[in-house]
Amino acid sequence: MADTENEKPFKVSVPDEDLEQLRQRLALARFPDELDEAEWEYGVPLADVRRLAARWADGFDWRSAEAAINALPQFTRDVAVDGFGTLNVHYVHQRSAVTEDAIPLLFVHGWPGHFLEVRKLLPLLTAGSAEQPSFHVVALSLPGFGFSEAPKKKGFAAKQYAEVANNLMINLGYTEYVVQGGDWGHYIAGYLATYYAHKHVKGWLSNYTNALPPKLWNAPLAYLTHLVTPYSAKEKAGWTRSQGFRLTGSGYSHEQATRPQTLGYSLADSPVGLLAWIYEKLVEWTDEYRWRDDEVLEWVSIYWFSRAGPGASVRIYKEMTQGFTRATTADVRWTSIPLGFAYFPKELNRVPRSWLSTLGRIVFESEHEHGGHFAAHEQPGELADDMRRMFGKGGPAFGVVAGKSGYAA
Amino acid sequence: MADTTEQPFTVAVSDTDLELLRKKLDLVRLPDELEGAEWNYGVPLADIKRLVAYWKDSFDWRKAEAGINKLPMFTRDIEVDGHGTLNIHYVHQKSEVKNAIPLLFVHGWPGDFLEVKKVLPILTAKSDEHPSFHVVAISLPGFGFSEAPKKPGFAGRQYAEVFNKLMVALGYNEYVYQGGDWGHILGAHAVTHYGHTNIKAWHSNMPFYRAPKFFSNPLLFLGMLTIPFDTVTKTRLAHSMKWQSKGRGYFIEQATQPQTLGYSLSDSPVGLLAWIYEKLVDWSDKYPWTEDEGRLLEWISIYWFSRSGPAAAGRIYYEMTSQNQHDVLEGTKYSSVPLGASYFPGELVRLPKSWTSMLGNVKFEAEHDKGGHFAAYEQPEKLAGDLRKMFGKGGPAHGVVPGKNGYD
Repeated sequence: MADTENEKPFKVSVPDEDLEQLRQRLALARFPDELDEAEWEYGVPLADVRRLAARWADGFDWRSAEAAINALPQFTRDVAVDGFGTLNVHYVHQRSAVTEDAIPLLFVHGWPGHFLEVRKLLPLLTAGSAEQPSFHVVALSLPGFGFSEAPKKKGFAAKQYAEVANNLMINLGYTEYVVQGGDWGHYIAGYLATYYAHKHVKGWLSNYTNALPPKLWNAPLAYLTHLVTPYSAKEKAGWTRSQGFRLTGSGYSHEQATRPQTLGYSLADSPVGLLAWIYEKLVEWTDEYRWRDDEVLEWVSIYWFSRAGPGASVRIYKEMTQGFTRATTADVRWTSIPLGFAYFPKELNRVPRSWLSTLGRIVFESEHEHGGHFAAHEQPGELADDMRRMFGKGGPAFGVVAGKSGYAA
Repeated sequence: MADTTEQPFTVAVSDTDLELLRKKLDLVRLPDELEGAEWNYGVPLADIKRLVAYWKDSFDWRKAEAGINKLPMFTRDIEVDGHGTLNIHYVHQKSEVKNAIPLLFVHGWPGDFLEVKKVLPILTAKSDEHPSFHVVAISLPGFGFSEAPKKPGFAGRQYAEVFNKLMVALGYNEYVYQGGDWGHILGAHAVTHYGHTNIKAWHSNMPFYRAPKFFSNPLLFLGMLTIPFDTVTKTRLAHSMKWQSKGRGYFIEQATQPQTLGYSLSDSPVGLLAWIYEKLVDWSDKYPWTEDEGRLLEWISIYWFSRSGPAAAGRIYYEMTSQNQHDVLEGTKYSSVPLGASYFPGELVRLPKSWTSMLGNVKFEAEHDKGGHFAAYEQPEKLAGDLRKMFGKGGPAHGVVPGKNGYD
């Protein structure tokens, strides 16, 4: 039974004063120097940041972007989390266009992502036919991101993110549902499975391939497989890419996992600083995606105007890794609910299949030729297609949610 | 032959720059903070609020500037092979003692030339009881009021070249060297290239070296494996592990994406304040910054008003590690030039003292019970005292610079 009393329709509505202050800050922007011919070698090129900052101050139309965002069905509601009281959570909730029996789907973003990453998937997933399953889609803003409240206390980590997401779905009347996530969404989906598999979570599809190596004691077959199976060419290429990422692309995660508050002062105070910090990932983590300036600025504006401020969002790194002392997947438990992986070639991390199999019962895999970390944004058609093939008729996870096959009766 | 590019230098921040800082501080937007966060997530919000208010309403930059300008400062052009000419800023204080020992003092990050301020009068003082020094304190290229390199690849060899050319241009063909943080690391590079020929001895207050490897130091390596570390050494290592696990985010970001970080540090005074203040607190030995907030803000202001901007300084991490591909001592060689080491308990990296012997020809060691990373600032008497002992009559490096033993 959906709890509708608590739910309020939501529209993004940035006060004029905030827009004006942003403009004032941009007008006062002070830029660093840059080495000759640095290009992307030392970080985001100066020319890019100058251009984007100039457009943000004059040219980018936030009100127009805001109106378009508000065409999406958005809501807020208070969700209880054990030990943390209630948090006011923001989410998109779009029901299927074709049937009540659509599959309830929870979409979970990561960092520096946000709820809008679901935007291109929505029309694809809520559509349907006799040949193609349909979904009811819920895309939340994680606590501390977008327009959701941030936790006020320390220790809001894996269990709590899973709990808030699960409670949201139950409150919406979806006692059984499936999950799609990448980046932090991948980890949170793993914990949703760990805590709520079978009872509530019936299957999940991840586009982020990270897991710990199997150990002899907890996954003997996977461990032995890992020892003897040579890596595929794609796995090798992915591995090289992972190493590169770890060596030269992970500085942000060290800082965010150890000193998020210190970094937060910069991100909260400097629009240019925030822009560069996020834009670096939008470019480096995607597969030659042609970002339009306004697309970038809308993305960064969500962070700039977020309810809790951009500093709050980076705390997830510290909480989920206990200050970089623990692997995020350390407490994910294998469950037998169907698990699928969508492999995109420019994803930043790729581990061997034998490692991924420690996260769950892999029933679906899909290897793509194009796309990177922000798969829902870069390759929505491909990802939607993966969801349909995994959960649709003839798929390995067809009918996992009782009475909600995805097709009209 | 006269080198005519030397100019006397005074810090003179423009009114426009001061005004821009004030406007930015007026517009400051602060993040939230978790309940009970204290120092566990980074710099506490209460500290930043207080410091921003002080910076905005009470801190008198012009007064600080006037104080700095009492130091004898200069700039001159130094040519660096492959990098053109850099205009270098330095303090140069000569001692009354004609035969004073020429000493180059080299700061690190987030330090600056002003770290020499408290040791300067001690080192240049004249006495029969202790040696005297002519002191040169350089602003590293990209820091303080020195120009920054314009091309990629400015690393160990290039810094060493700047140091040596500066000292030689000042008439100090032979000299001694003191440094901590990058000053220590660049010291290892400097003696690699100019040890004996020019650098006659060096001293470090952050004497770390790489862990022993079997091939280079078999005895130390085997010792590391078989002989349990004593309690004191274990404490030292545990202290270093804390930095390793919790405090290296800044290092890795600066070593891999300094430009990205640089946009924040250039644009946000509060962002810069937090970034540096965190280290001033973490790395010092309970230095009472709350009693010295004017000096603290002066410290941050040097970065804010630096000639090349605060972003340029972070690039040293990138260049010295080739974007995190190797450690900072890559390219250094063991030198038999006499080495002095001062150990301060709050230093962020504290390794077994036996490893210092791999760093160089240890002739002097001193252990202290107080003081941290910013030794020259926190414990100037102790640091200057060590240099006096090392180079004074009866000291292990006495008379290393021919004709300049520190006494008339």
